[in-house]
Amino acid sequence: MTEGGTRHTPAPTGQGFGRFLVAIYGIFALAATSRSAVQLATEFDKAPLAYLLSAFAAVVYIVATVSLARGDATSRRLATVAISIELVGVLIVGALSVLSPGVFQHPTVWTGFGSGYGFVPLVLPFVGLWWLRHTR
Amino acid sequence: MTGTYATLITVVALLFAAWALISAASNRRPTLLLFGAGVLLEALLLGFAVGGIVQMAGSDRQFARAEFVGYLLGCLAIPPLAFYWARGERSRSGTLVIALGFLIMPVMVLRVQQVWAGSVG
Repeated sequence: MTEGGTRHTPAPTGQGFGRFLVAIYGIFALAATSRSAVQLATEFDKAPLAYLLSAFAAVVYIVATVSLARGDATSRRLATVAISIELVGVLIVGALSVLSPGVFQHPTVWTGFGSGYGFVPLVLPFVGLWWLRHTR
Repeated sequence: MTGTYATLITVVALLFAAWALISAASNRRPTLLLFGAGVLLEALLLGFAVGGIVQMAGSDRQFARAEFVGYLLGCLAIPPLAFYWARGERSRSGTLVIALGFLIMPVMVLRVQQVWAGSVG
């Protein structure tokens, strides 16, 4: 966010298009966090695996949001890790939920490749990784 | 939950979102007028939150009260966060961020109403 534009430092990830991307990540961080907080607090026994997964996804989105917004060298690495986990998560959970719907019982943000959220959770990690490469 | 007021917020938020999107499409950065729109929406949301909490206190119905208050406070937090994050951005992205903030408001209001009605587990 405060990084200067000298020749050898990478472009900040939280400016230009990144400003918009961080906002999208922020919305998912907020949505996933509030959803999982309610689920874990009130009905954890009903579907523990799904709700733990929701909470995990929430943490991943929070880390991605904050690190993309900060955009220094360490944050950039952290963002790459978080977004990679996000990509693997949405692919594995998406595939599992389609192949054997019984596993998670209750929907999470990654169920059906994010179909409950207009497939944005599937597209987002690709855009995030592209953006990290693009600004390198 | 007061239906007319919630509808008013939804309509106003969507109008502001359309305005911000058009503004972003024509490459404009956020204007002071758009900021004024955000302040107006925030005032409406404040009325929504206060009204909602007063109604909740006066009701002995069973519903997820903590979640209800959480979503009302979430509504209130969104416009300031959007304008905070959009500040200082030199491209149209700042305007887009504000448009996003307006765009998710109808969803938030819907969630508030769903929790109030107790239809969400």
